[in-house]
Amino acid sequence: MVALLSLLAGAIVALLWGPTIPQTLTPYVAMAVVAAIDSAFGGARSYLESTFNDRIFVLAFVSNAAVAALLVWVGDQLGVDLTVAVVVVFGIRIFQNVAAIRRRVFGG
Amino acid sequence: MSFAWRRQAAFAVVLAVLGFGLVAAASSTRAQKRRDRPRQSRLVQLILDRRKQLTDLDAAVRKLRGQVARAQADASKVDASTREQSARLAALGAIAGTTAMEGPAIVVRVTDSTRKPTTKEEAGAFRIHDVDVQLVVNELLTAGAEAISVNDNRIVATSPIRAAGDTIVVNFRPLNPPYVITAIGARRADYAGSAIARRSERWRALFRLGYTVNAQSNARVPAYAGRVAVDRAQPMGAGG
Repeated sequence: MVALLSLLAGAIVALLWGPTIPQTLTPYVAMAVVAAIDSAFGGARSYLESTFNDRIFVLAFVSNAAVAALLVWVGDQLGVDLTVAVVVVFGIRIFQNVAAIRRRVFGG
Repeated sequence: MSFAWRRQAAFAVVLAVLGFGLVAAASSTRAQKRRDRPRQSRLVQLILDRRKQLTDLDAAVRKLRGQVARAQADASKVDASTREQSARLAALGAIAGTTAMEGPAIVVRVTDSTRKPTTKEEAGAFRIHDVDVQLVVNELLTAGAEAISVNDNRIVATSPIRAAGDTIVVNFRPLNPPYVITAIGARRADYAGSAIARRSERWRALFRLGYTVNAQSNARVPAYAGRVAVDRAQPMGAGG
């Protein structure tokens, strides 16, 4: 419940405030968003497995977002599209966490 | 702080950041696209309008020059000196390129390669560049060409053959491949024996660049519709 409400709260703040992110920064924000999605699912899974640690949760989100942004920046400097690597890795983790959550909830 | 509270707070913060970032990025991208779309279509429309204007003005110049020539021909029937002058003008017009010409010609057709380059550095070798067209034109002139056109653009003494990015621009008009170079009066044997002809055939074998040379018994080359006046050049004195 809290999760959904805070998600909506963040979205509504963005809608009302309407910040325009400069085009050069959009890939970094996008990677931070993907890292946040991964952290959210990871947090939900660890909560269901009773291994949730809030400090680790926040730290993991911050560090994942930072590393993802760093990879995108390095890719820009080298002229290689490293956003693909970030998206692939986070995508795999998201699906693994969702599968674990599904097994926990539906016993499957 | 109770454990559950901290957990809820951490979750809430991360998810708020997620929601915020998602909506901000999405709305920024959408706003950017909305800004670009009308501008792009306006630019395209502007280009098409100007191109049509150019073609219309070209046709008008050619028509007016034809009228002037006819008026001169009529006037020259009056007396001998006017006849002489209008004959001289006609000869100058033929040399300067302001009259359409026809006659036996060599037609050189060059186009980009059908093969795809394997690396980015090689990409230039599989396209025709402005230098290639210029070299062929120069060689045809050496072989005796009296009137040359590239894709129906008359080449005169001041015609620039340049490149804008990947596009070849002749007389300030962008051209698309294939490039058809028609040279009236060029001697086929002289051109075929030239270095550039042999090099072009080697390139055709190596890079599969399109290159054909044909003889045409009666080709037509259009008149030059641009400016032919002389601004700063002066005839050299007798000592020079």
